Amino acid sequence: MAVSVYSYLFIGLALFLIGLAGSIIVKNVIKVLISIEFMLLGVNINFVTFAVFADNINLDGCILTLFYTGLGAVELAVALYIFYLMFRKKESDDIERYTEL
Amino acid sequence: MIDNSIIFYSASFMIIAFALAALFARNVIYSLLASVCVFFLGALFFYILGSEYNAIIQAAIYGLAVPIILGVSIMFRGNFGKHARDKQDVRKKSVVSYILLLSMAIFVLAFIYIVMISLLVKPDTFNFTGLEQISAYDNILAFAKGIFVNYVWAFELVSLLLTIVIAGISMLRKRGA
Repeated sequence: MAVSVYSYLFIGLALFLIGLAGSIIVKNVIKVLISIEFMLLGVNINFVTFAVFADNINLDGCILTLFYTGLGAVELAVALYIFYLMFRKKESDDIERYTEL
Repeated sequence: MIDNSIIFYSASFMIIAFALAALFARNVIYSLLASVCVFFLGALFFYILGSEYNAIIQAAIYGLAVPIILGVSIMFRGNFGKHARDKQDVRKKSVVSYILLLSMAIFVLAFIYIVMISLLVKPDTFNFTGLEQISAYDNILAFAKGIFVNYVWAFELVSLLLTIVIAGISMLRKRGA
């Protein structure tokens, strides 16, 4: 049985929704950042899926995925550094306590 | 592109299970380990979609570099594993975690076995589909054309952004904020 394009899109959507739910529900800052990375991974899977199934000559989706992967890592590094600076003052990783920068 | 439904559905089940485990694990270390599995399975998805370059980048950045950053940040917190230590029924929890770990290992071994068997017994299931078949050289050519011709400004912008981030973080460190 061949795997259709909708299966890949469903996996991307599922990862995105899990990440979205996690970033809303979870209280731990590090888990929230991990959830945001899950959302980014879901988007990237959709990009590559469309690049492979709809445009396998230019592969634009794969190139956009490269950019998003680099930017996601940078965003995570910056967010973690901000978290580290705030953690030194608050001494808690509960996101409810981070109400101000 | 690898069009094998056994690999796809097994990897799909595992990626969703590990993603949920990463969110709902009490200990943040377990959450980090589950997220590493999710990132590697994402790389597997890129690979079975036929985009090996993205798979390598995903495995290198999200599978290795990002977990190291996250692990260092967890170490800075200084109280990792606190939830697990605070519980009084540590022994009971450890037995449950061993059982869970064992069942997970059995599932991973079964997954590897199924993949190997599907490769051995049914090599025809690896059929190449797509709009037009292109060679590996054309693939690299398309990437190079996309990065250095079509999206050269985006590429330069990302490079500039990375440089700004490195400079900004080093400035913040020097300031001792």
